[in-house]
Amino acid sequence: MKLITAIIKPFKLDDVKSALQAFGITGMTVSEASGFGRQRGHTEVYRGAEYTVDLVPKVRLEVLIEGSDVDAVIDVIVKAASTGSIGDGKVWSTPVDNVVRVRTGERGVDAI
Amino acid sequence: MATRERRELSDVSDRSVVALAESALTKYPAVAGRIAIAAVGGYGRGELSPGSDLDLLVLHDGTIATEILSEFINAFLYPLWNGGRAIDHSVRTRNETRAAAGTDIRVAQGLLDIRFLWGSEALVLTVATDALDDWRKNFKRLWPQVLASISERRERSGELAFLLEPDLKEARGGLRDINTLRAIAKSDAVPVALERLATAESLLINVRDCLHQVSGRHRDQLLFTEQDKVASALKFSDADALLLEVAKSARSVDYVMALTVHRIENSDQGFFARRRKPVLVSKGLYQVNEEIAIASEYELVADPGLGLRAAATAAQRGLPLSIESCIRLADEFVDLPTPWPRQSREDLVALIGAGAFMVNVWEALDQSGLIEKWIPEWGHVRFLPQRNALHRHTVDRHMLETAVRATNLIRQVHRPDLLLVAALFHDLGKGFGDLDHSEYGETLIAPLAIRMGFSESDAQTLAVLVRHHLLLSSVATRRDLDDPLTISYVLSHVDSAETLELLHALSIADGEATGRTAWSGWKAGLVADLVSRCLAAMSGIAPAPQLELTADQIVRSEQGILSLEIAEHEGNYEIEIIAPDQVGLLSAVAGVLSISRFDVRSARTRTLGNSAVMKWIVNLDANSQPPESEALQEILQRALTGEIDLTHRIEERINNYRKRPGIPVAPPVVSVIYDIATSATVLEVRMHDRPGILYTVARAVSRFGVDIRAAIVATLGAEAFDTIYVTDLQGQALTAERAVLLANQIENILLTH
Repeated sequence: MKLITAIIKPFKLDDVKSALQAFGITGMTVSEASGFGRQRGHTEVYRGAEYTVDLVPKVRLEVLIEGSDVDAVIDVIVKAASTGSIGDGKVWSTPVDNVVRVRTGERGVDAI
Repeated sequence: MATRERRELSDVSDRSVVALAESALTKYPAVAGRIAIAAVGGYGRGELSPGSDLDLLVLHDGTIATEILSEFINAFLYPLWNGGRAIDHSVRTRNETRAAAGTDIRVAQGLLDIRFLWGSEALVLTVATDALDDWRKNFKRLWPQVLASISERRERSGELAFLLEPDLKEARGGLRDINTLRAIAKSDAVPVALERLATAESLLINVRDCLHQVSGRHRDQLLFTEQDKVASALKFSDADALLLEVAKSARSVDYVMALTVHRIENSDQGFFARRRKPVLVSKGLYQVNEEIAIASEYELVADPGLGLRAAATAAQRGLPLSIESCIRLADEFVDLPTPWPRQSREDLVALIGAGAFMVNVWEALDQSGLIEKWIPEWGHVRFLPQRNALHRHTVDRHMLETAVRATNLIRQVHRPDLLLVAALFHDLGKGFGDLDHSEYGETLIAPLAIRMGFSESDAQTLAVLVRHHLLLSSVATRRDLDDPLTISYVLSHVDSAETLELLHALSIADGEATGRTAWSGWKAGLVADLVSRCLAAMSGIAPAPQLELTADQIVRSEQGILSLEIAEHEGNYEIEIIAPDQVGLLSAVAGVLSISRFDVRSARTRTLGNSAVMKWIVNLDANSQPPESEALQEILQRALTGEIDLTHRIEERINNYRKRPGIPVAPPVVSVIYDIATSATVLEVRMHDRPGILYTVARAVSRFGVDIRAAIVATLGAEAFDTIYVTDLQGQALTAERAVLLANQIENILLTH
């Protein structure tokens, strides 16, 4: 089992969500995040005063899947989240040892 | 469940308590005649809901050995516990009961409903008599505790009428308040209008019992998930209809509570009296007993603006508006003319601008039906529930909360008045079936604004604000901010930087008032980013334009002679002054008007050649005589030659102003704005209105060694917004560094003076 984590631009969330749904992914966790990578912060000038925006708002999306789908799911996210400009984000996968569905106590792949 | 069924349940419980006590007595016959069991609280009144505790008081005469007493009690209570009933019991002697009631008002209140069940009837009767006597005797001492528990409950559980998932028992206007009112009535301290509570109480109890039944739990909070079930069980058309009835009941409880508290606090028996001499604060309005009241001899017919003026005065001083005044305003209602006079519009803005202090005053007006009379559109959103997981409050309370948040943002916009009005009415279009509330709200606010006397262009701005109050948050989270099309999309709806600034502040206030789920630092960051990108694409904000002079004014200014004329202007006075220019002229004129007890509402001044032309709109404070031109001109003459010490007298006026009660306000902000259309440097001063602002600012500017070319003063409700054009002594704009230094200096002086 794998956990796929994607950091994407906020406005791309709807696109990524529908692309994943179309692919057959039914559950995901979405949270508000902020940070920076190579994009860094940028400097704004507002009414004469300069201020630096050092943390850029992003959306963090997490999906649990069976191992075999990993590359396909990553492709779906990358395709939907891409605008071609800097700050589009990153997607990565990590191995997951075990998963339990709280309500039923099911474990492993059954719990996904 | 109806009252009859609650009585039956109570009777059934009575019978089982008596039976169990009798059987315990057979095991411990020694206690006979020395013990009694009584019901207290709601059970004492003979009404028992399925989820209620059985409140029992075991009274004994103190002569029974502790061991036997506890064994008897166990023998009688265990079967009750085993029967699944939650029991709240206490075991006391008569003296212990008195002592407990003397320190704990909940015990004292519960005892007022004591009812004999079993055992020594005489014991219960003495305790019942004690309870009532002590309650009456000690009421004055216990009152602060009663009041504290009422407000503590309100803090903790909020208001039943305005919460979307309210606690039927603990929230303000709920069942606990009804019990408190019943206890107050028994103290005989003041009359309590209990008859107004009957319908409310039976509805609230029915809803509570039904909630317990459908949820299978004994919790009193009416959650979203249970509302549909309760509504259908009680045969309401839907959950909204149910909540509307709950809200109405809560409001009538709340109203009786407010009236009762007010009567106790102002009781004529010298009981809690702390009367002070009434002080006249505005025409027809007194401050008396820590509230604002209308003078009894004042004729309401001649002054339709009185209601809003009273409300603004009360809210700006952080005081309540007296209930009697509200009732009188409603009974002898005089409608405002259409459009509203300028003063009434400003009073509305000053009322909203009082922030948290506005809420109570607004409530008082609303309960007396005054808000609906002035603003019929409000009727539709009163207590209107919204089935939306993001919201916590009914539509009307959400809008009030938004307005309260908006008062923190008024320094960030050029038109605080429009921000406050838009905040208070932004969801006015909610609750009209499938209509989009923003679109429908736009059609409501535009005519309302015109009726309130706003100009066509202001009404247009308000319409844009209401129509697009969700635009920034939805675009910021759903569209690519790097895409130029996103920016042009926003600009196609919002055409000026002033409006964008307002829309930004409205989005923040609306988001914060909705709750954490709707607004986070993350979302605020995205919206701020969008706004700064849009502002960068706009032409910037133009400062208020300078006064245009008429041909006649130009001719007279060339003569260089001091002249002063006063004319009446829409209930205010218009003063035109032409004077030879000299250093400190503006501060002298501002100072003279201030010590003559005028409040400057707006002013435009401009220097032309060797003269300055000034137009002032002022109103007179309540204690002053109408002005005479000759007298005023003479004072001005003497001030210009230095014969009158203005500083001293203005300080005195500012200090007097400071002595009166006030509300906390945001600190003054002075900013420099860069405008290529003028050769002067433009300073903007935003602050809470008070006497002598322009005098203080103008004096600071003259001392800095720069010239004031023009000044534009606007008062928007309780906010002053002054724009000052300055140049150096050679007539050039200041360097950026000097301009910022000057702005900081003025800001400091305004903070400390």
